[in-house]
Amino acid sequence: MRKLISPDDLGRDDRFERTEMMDRVSDPRNAADDSGRSRPGKLTPERADAPDAARALMHGIFVGEIQALEGAGRTCYDFEVGKGKLDDDEVPFELKLDMARQCWDEARHCEISVKLSDWMGTEIGEFGESAFLFQAACNPDPVLRLTGVNRALEGLAIDVFNTMREFGDLAGDPVLEFCEDWMLADEVTHVKMGSDWLRRMTANDPDRQEKALEFQRVVDKLFSLGGFRGEEDDSPVRLARRFRELAGFDDTEMNDIAELSREARGEVEERGRQARETASQN
Amino acid sequence: MAVTVEPSAFSMVDYDAAEISALVDELAGSLGLGDHDIRIEVDETSPLGRNWLETLDPIHIHVESGALEDPKRIRRFSRLGATDVLGRHLLRAKDRFDPDFGDAPTDADLSSAHRTAWDVYTVGRLVRAGFPANRQRWLYAFRNRHGFTDAADDTFETLWLSDGLTWSRVAELSDAAAATNPGKLDRKPA
Repeated sequence: MRKLISPDDLGRDDRFERTEMMDRVSDPRNAADDSGRSRPGKLTPERADAPDAARALMHGIFVGEIQALEGAGRTCYDFEVGKGKLDDDEVPFELKLDMARQCWDEARHCEISVKLSDWMGTEIGEFGESAFLFQAACNPDPVLRLTGVNRALEGLAIDVFNTMREFGDLAGDPVLEFCEDWMLADEVTHVKMGSDWLRRMTANDPDRQEKALEFQRVVDKLFSLGGFRGEEDDSPVRLARRFRELAGFDDTEMNDIAELSREARGEVEERGRQARETASQN
Repeated sequence: MAVTVEPSAFSMVDYDAAEISALVDELAGSLGLGDHDIRIEVDETSPLGRNWLETLDPIHIHVESGALEDPKRIRRFSRLGATDVLGRHLLRAKDRFDPDFGDAPTDADLSSAHRTAWDVYTVGRLVRAGFPANRQRWLYAFRNRHGFTDAADDTFETLWLSDGLTWSRVAELSDAAAATNPGKLDRKPA
């Protein structure tokens, strides 16, 4: 069996359609004007498109769970058991145990997500699948991989699950609210695992720690999805500070993520403006 | 009857005005609106999916490009999605033309609950006219506006299976279901 497989090699049946994140961020419609008219706004039941927006977000969670399962599974397999020093491809056995436990959680989340999709009237593969989550799980350094996936990516999962949990609460949907609340609890654990392994594996290696944190910043910015996740009034997904705190983030780190989200939003708007100008010239 | 689609050529999305026009032609014929002029205005500068009926004569439907977009393929046209959105507006226009249906508020003045109730009544008829729709998606939308209750589900069933309702009956059914909505969960931690 091969190690370090590419996102293109992930197994999917013909219900799934892969989408590229660049197509989304360079969509000229994103910057149609400066009035904010093209931004969907915070996900609340009051939004006219709320049920369909919730379905789309839930499908994004579903494919994210599949990729999180695949990523944690690859981390169990891609590295040998050892001390986990920088120049080898070894990780402590206990890290593999954590990843195995995470696989169990993610598999359960996949099943919950499928049932939630049925509940909400969504078909598997109804929306496009972006593989950016698994792409972060392809880093050959296990510390960078865990930092990118478990801290940045699972951190995003905390924000998304919390948003969906609040949506279910406000809409009076007991099924959605319960499912999201339970999955949210697991995500806090996954992020905590990332925080703990980052600290333990880089305790005597500040360079490696800085590289891992830099990788996390890159992933956090990408996962802000052009401000889709952020702290602006109209951000559809809000930064869940309380749950992130439980998972090992301090205020400085959370402020950094909020700032990265603002930067990402500005960059996407600028890219959209440029694409729009190009389109109007053609 | 004439169907016009604006713009006639798209630059931001990969849509074909002729394909949209042909679909509207087919829908209008099937739904008994073949003798009406229809204008479809697509705002391709917005990726969102807001849509509304501007006027009845001609039938003028305004949609943002996201309303007709394939959820799997960004900026590509979805025949299925367009059938859903445009079909609902055409049937609503047909209801508004019908003196027996009664005076419904304008699209802008519809409450979310009333709009969704009318949508359910409309999509049920579209399905019986041979156009596919995901029933569970509409049940979920209806529950979001009327509560996750047995009473709301019963009302959904009535609207989905009905023909020949009046606006006052649609609103009455919606209001009765919404009155049983327990609202926010406010679940306390165990």
